[in-house]
Amino acid sequence: MSSAANGTTPAGIDPRGPRFGATITNVLSVIIFFLALDTDRINQSAAYLLLVLAAVLFAVGAFFGPSAHPYSWLYKKLVKPRLGAPKELEDPRPPQFAQAVGLFVAAVGIVLQAVGVQYGVAIAAAALFAATTLQAYFAYCLGCQIYLALKRAGIIRAS
Amino acid sequence: MPFEAKLALFAALVVLSVFAGLIWKARTGRANLVKSGELVDLNKLEALKDGVRVSKYGRKVTFVQFSTEVCSQCRQTARLLGEVEAKHKDVLHVEVDVTNRLDLAAHFKVLQTPTTLVLDSSGRVKSRIGGAPKPNVIAHELEKLEVI
Repeated sequence: MSSAANGTTPAGIDPRGPRFGATITNVLSVIIFFLALDTDRINQSAAYLLLVLAAVLFAVGAFFGPSAHPYSWLYKKLVKPRLGAPKELEDPRPPQFAQAVGLFVAAVGIVLQAVGVQYGVAIAAAALFAATTLQAYFAYCLGCQIYLALKRAGIIRAS
Repeated sequence: MPFEAKLALFAALVVLSVFAGLIWKARTGRANLVKSGELVDLNKLEALKDGVRVSKYGRKVTFVQFSTEVCSQCRQTARLLGEVEAKHKDVLHVEVDVTNRLDLAAHFKVLQTPTTLVLDSSGRVKSRIGGAPKPNVIAHELEKLEVI
């Protein structure tokens, strides 16, 4: 986010890409939620591993930007050719912030479960489901709603 | 946990998420009256218009839009208010990036972006819009300040 300090805006991206990604994460969070609440140990482990996978994917988006995300590649290959060119482009920094929030939530779930909180993974999956539902189906923008509040509270210090 | 219990938990989660989404959709972008009528000094805001500092208010209405870098709806709002400005010569739209101006964000109690203050011809705050303004909301503000 250093580019904004000198007033330049990074190249725009197709705004439908991040929403497509949020839809995949939405479905993934449902799978993780059900597996995590299962009594079967193997399913619980699968839920844990899927949450780790989600965290890795969030990390790619958070550190390298939404264009580097594998879902973005999927979107360009499978969805965009059917939709045509976007009406307008979007700044990549808002979805990048949302990816960082996703990474934080997934990481909290992984750590909670690792230290023995029984439903750590399920709680994180529930939070991810709620957030991605708002993003994918209501065009809710995490960066608009919580970034400034977090920054004012001193929780985010960067840039 | 039995399957029925899991399903019930998940159903509750869906209802909660959709409910939150509907409430947010209904509440965002509406104008609230501001009684204080605070005088806003555009110089102190370091308000920019196409990269140039602005100090003079619009002849009838000034929209002061607070934005950050990580706000996709700020771009859409800037475009909408820019179009309103282009259509009505008595309207001025300025954008203030508060990403690194937490003093301003604190002063105006901005928690979400975009947050737009609607000023009258003398620069006093008349109303405040949290979130991307709904189009009819802008029309109503213009009516109140006698632009249309």
